[in-house]
Amino acid sequence: MAVKAFSDEWATQFKDEVNRSSVYKSAAKGWKWTVGLVVEAEPDKNFPDAKGVVMDLFDGSARDIKVGPAAEAQKCDFVITAPYSRWKQVATKELDATKGMLQGKLKLKGDLPTIVRYTKASQEMTECTTRVPVEWPDEK
Amino acid sequence: MHDAGAGRMARRKVATQKPVEYADVEPSAFASMLGGLIEANVESRPEKRKDFDSLAARVGIFVTDIDEGVTLDFQRGHLVVHNGLEPKRDLTIRAEAGTVMNLSNLRIGLFGMPVYYDEVGRGVAAKLVGGKLRIDGLLGNLATLNTVTRIFSVAG
Repeated sequence: MAVKAFSDEWATQFKDEVNRSSVYKSAAKGWKWTVGLVVEAEPDKNFPDAKGVVMDLFDGSARDIKVGPAAEAQKCDFVITAPYSRWKQVATKELDATKGMLQGKLKLKGDLPTIVRYTKASQEMTECTTRVPVEWPDEK
Repeated sequence: MHDAGAGRMARRKVATQKPVEYADVEPSAFASMLGGLIEANVESRPEKRKDFDSLAARVGIFVTDIDEGVTLDFQRGHLVVHNGLEPKRDLTIRAEAGTVMNLSNLRIGLFGMPVYYDEVGRGVAAKLVGGKLRIDGLLGNLATLNTVTRIFSVAG
């Protein structure tokens, strides 16, 4: 059943997908930093307030994934920021996250060598988001 | 007895120039990412600094699936990153975004040579053989390519 985009239910399902992925488990071995996704508001897309996704990822597993205020996500070791519709493009496979970062469509803050070293893990994490059935607020 | 007037310390000129600069007022996201990656590598890894200080070459990198490129103008200890491909390049690497990222994940092995026999290396080699990774100017610039690869590499 589809869950509301960037809701608590979505976070739970996303975490389960990450923890089910053997590809992520092996590609993210040694990862020990928090990752924040900042979803910027787009009122015209029925997404009026910015949200933050805080991901506590450790050594190939997701210990916790929570949705809260954008400010919380901004405190993470790595922060990726984009407007709501860009994240929707990533989650629906319209936009490849690596290409999005190189094009500046997704803005990355954090130690570049570390994130580049874990390219495969971040690609698999994106795959995990695409496996969560989502009800998008602009499609209501 | 202490003479206050005679104790002026000699002032040594301290180099403040950053290792990486951008030629354009608004560097593209790709330029910022590559420049940032090289700067972080050079500042944190002494072996990369040595390569960086010795390299003089103009290297173009073009990402075929986003149609965007940069030119890295290495000037022995200083790098100027240009948006787009500039003329007079020694080497030009053309590949898809994923392959460009994988180039940074090549491990460096014996004698400072990139490792092409592990999973990442085999993937890069396969792209090269399949024509999905093109390197123009390779003839005569193999040593430059290896040096650039070492500066880029985040693996290990």
